[in-house]
Amino acid sequence: MQATQVLHVGLKRMAALAVGLLLACAAVAQQDRFSIRNAFVEPVGGVWQLNAIVELGLSAAAEEALSEGIPLTLLLEILITKERRFLPDTEVAGLEQRWRLAYDALSGRYVVTNLNSRAQSTYPALAEALDYLSNVRGLPLIDEPLLASGVRHEVSLRASVEIGGLPGAVKLLIFWREWSRSTDWYTWSVRP
Amino acid sequence: MIRRWVPVAVGAGIVAWVVALALLAVTTRDSQEFGKLQPWILMVNAAGVLVLVALLTGRLVELVRDRRALVPGSRLRSQAVAMLSVLVLAPLLLVFTFSVLFLTRGIDSWFHVEVRQGLSDALGLSRAALDLRMREFTDRTERIAEDLAQQRSMQLFSALDEHRRLAGAEELAVVGPGRIEAYSTASLVDSLPPLPPDEVLMQARRGERYVSLDPVATGGYVIRAAVRMGGASSLQGTRVLMAVYPVPQRLADLAEAVQGAYQQYGRLSYLREPLKVSFVLTLSLVLLMALLAAVYGAFFFSDRLVQPVQDLIGATRAVGKGDFETRVQRASRDEIGYLVTSFNDMTKRLAKARAEADASRQAVENERASLAVILARLSTGVISLQSDLTIRVANHAAGAILGTDLQAAAGEGLPALAEREPLVAQLLAVIRPHVEAGQTEWREQVILRHETGRRELMCACTALPGEGEETAGLVLVFDDITELLHAQREAAWGEVARRLAHEIKNPLTPIQLSAERVRRRLLGGLPDRDADLLERATNTIVQQVESMKQMVNAFSEYARAPTMELDFFDLNALVREAADLYHAQDARVRFALTLAEGGAPIEADRGRIRQVLNNLLTNSLEALEGEPDPVVTVHTARHPGPGAGFVELAVHDNGPGFQREFMGQVFDPYVTSKPKGTGLGLAIVRKIVEEHGGRIEAENEPDGGALVRVWLPADEAARGAPVPRVTRNQEPRREHA
Repeated sequence: MQATQVLHVGLKRMAALAVGLLLACAAVAQQDRFSIRNAFVEPVGGVWQLNAIVELGLSAAAEEALSEGIPLTLLLEILITKERRFLPDTEVAGLEQRWRLAYDALSGRYVVTNLNSRAQSTYPALAEALDYLSNVRGLPLIDEPLLASGVRHEVSLRASVEIGGLPGAVKLLIFWREWSRSTDWYTWSVRP
Repeated sequence: MIRRWVPVAVGAGIVAWVVALALLAVTTRDSQEFGKLQPWILMVNAAGVLVLVALLTGRLVELVRDRRALVPGSRLRSQAVAMLSVLVLAPLLLVFTFSVLFLTRGIDSWFHVEVRQGLSDALGLSRAALDLRMREFTDRTERIAEDLAQQRSMQLFSALDEHRRLAGAEELAVVGPGRIEAYSTASLVDSLPPLPPDEVLMQARRGERYVSLDPVATGGYVIRAAVRMGGASSLQGTRVLMAVYPVPQRLADLAEAVQGAYQQYGRLSYLREPLKVSFVLTLSLVLLMALLAAVYGAFFFSDRLVQPVQDLIGATRAVGKGDFETRVQRASRDEIGYLVTSFNDMTKRLAKARAEADASRQAVENERASLAVILARLSTGVISLQSDLTIRVANHAAGAILGTDLQAAAGEGLPALAEREPLVAQLLAVIRPHVEAGQTEWREQVILRHETGRRELMCACTALPGEGEETAGLVLVFDDITELLHAQREAAWGEVARRLAHEIKNPLTPIQLSAERVRRRLLGGLPDRDADLLERATNTIVQQVESMKQMVNAFSEYARAPTMELDFFDLNALVREAADLYHAQDARVRFALTLAEGGAPIEADRGRIRQVLNNLLTNSLEALEGEPDPVVTVHTARHPGPGAGFVELAVHDNGPGFQREFMGQVFDPYVTSKPKGTGLGLAIVRKIVEEHGGRIEAENEPDGGALVRVWLPADEAARGAPVPRVTRNQEPRREHA
């Protein structure tokens, strides 16, 4: 085969791959739900804790990437702001919680690692691992005295999932938006 | 200012580019590092591409503009740029093509089916090895569970610990309904482990053995087993023995290595196409960058190559325009440098030669200017003629003598000029026979006649030396000797007059007295007839003697020494007085006076000027005898010049005018056409005018009548200055007497 033909075939393949990935991402956006179903905070033992249910629908591409050993990263961003009269709201607390979901081919188990605490748990099925990640229970946010009593506060929550291990240039060059999906901000008010 | 920073920017860009390429070369071995650095590498290259595109666009625009403006060297520069670009382009494209080819094939070759199958098989083998271990550990756990089931509660803890040590387990735990009843571990812990998942406990309580391979956060694997211990009536009350065994280190390492390789391969396989795109894109950017840099380098080197040539072209043009001081800076020691040195030497020699030529030319010019000044100052007329009688050069005096501007007629043939200049025609008539006879050296006195008189020239001709036998032309030199001859005649006539006055005047009085005495003595004693004869004879003697006295007085007047009494007076007033006087004598004659406005002040001898006026008016009146409507026009005018300038006096009558044969001699003594004239009137006028430093001319008017024009200096400052030529279209004020 001539060099130019090979180059031509290569370029065609690249174009086809890019188009396919874009179509796949579009399909993911339509079919898979990735949102925060509900969330609330409650004081437990002097600490405000977060409870939330995140719908973690993974696309086929993401599941395929996971099965090929590419880890997924789940990011929860929590922001607590205090409302103020005549002044812009002020941020009281903000924290990020990350988990990594990976498939261990040897054991055939899905490994969930809390990247903040390095705590690890394994699951024989993806559904169980996702179920674990979807249910956030008792995640400590802030000590109770740090929120002003009787003042209205806003709590915002956003979840993101990203397929890790991709070269940055790949994301940069082929607009790999679906490799990193985020929910909208889920916001509610509390008055301690 | 911007151009000064261009090399710095290009240098910085090249350094960044080289660093990016080095990073690319280093990081391609590690996909993680490559992934981190690749965006930066791409950005550096993209920025470099943009900068180079901008620079190249500028250079191309500049080159096209130079080509259109036909700037010297632009064609050579464009050819050099094109040639260098093509030279660089071909190997770069070849390398790029083969790089892409090898890259895509290389990446594809990493992911052969056999490799993947081999890795899967290795993973399966690892799993099989671990499965064997897991079964062994499960069997071992069951045996421990059977033994522990028969132990009493008090002995359970010690038996559990003993079994853990004997079985080589990490942990052993007896899980009862909702709690851990006993727990033994090889590690130091201060709390109990969490309960196993419900599904694990349920599986074990149902009598189904549970075993799993769990990855550990710190690395490696453990084998987790759960079996029923029995001893309870209900399923919920059944105790379960949980055991955690470490995977043997050797097996764990191998299994982990296989697992890592498998997953790494899977990840790379999954990212194969994006990686290929990424590599090809990076290579393309690098290629583009290299191409643009090469083209810019082509511009740079073409500049270096063409600049000396361009300088030489510019300098050659400057030399062509006569700037021999142009020098080209030698920038190299190669052949171009040698050429530049040779060019500079050549321009130096040219400059020196031109300086010498300029000096020679300047010397010639100076000589020529000196000669021109000399010729201009000469009162002698000089005309240089070519062999065909074409005027080459003539001085001012020649033109003045011949009454035409010969300097303006340079380059014109003398015969052509003679057709419209009568004096030149008369001169040509003298020259032509000599030329036709082949005489180049001759000398002759020439008389030129014109309306106002005649000019006597002493003319000499000589040949200009030419190449070989040929002559380069003729030089005609002539002096106006009219005045000289006139002065000579004046001197001769003065001498004659003095002698006449001396020799004749003295005997006249005795003759007259003797004649009167003879008449007194003899008149009374003679008969009437004789007395009458005596009376008539003595009267005739007395009258003739009186006449001779007058003639002698006139001679005396002509010959006397010039002693003038100068004072300022108005010539107009003198003219009016004279006109009134003559009008009173002969009322038949009409006097038309056109006098200068504002008067005609003049510094002169009033008596002599009056004599001039009287002689001129007398001359006119004598000429008008017998004319039916005699008119004498007297005209005065002022002409600017040195000091107060000149005053012109013109007397014109409508008589028959001067006879043509006397033209040119009307001011000579004893030249007259009148039967009773002495011929001294106009001679005395001329003498007085010349004594005052003025000039007189006589001519016949085209419409008839004689015209005598006199120019007198208005003051001492104007005396001796050249007398101006008058223009006839002046309209002076007219008066009538």
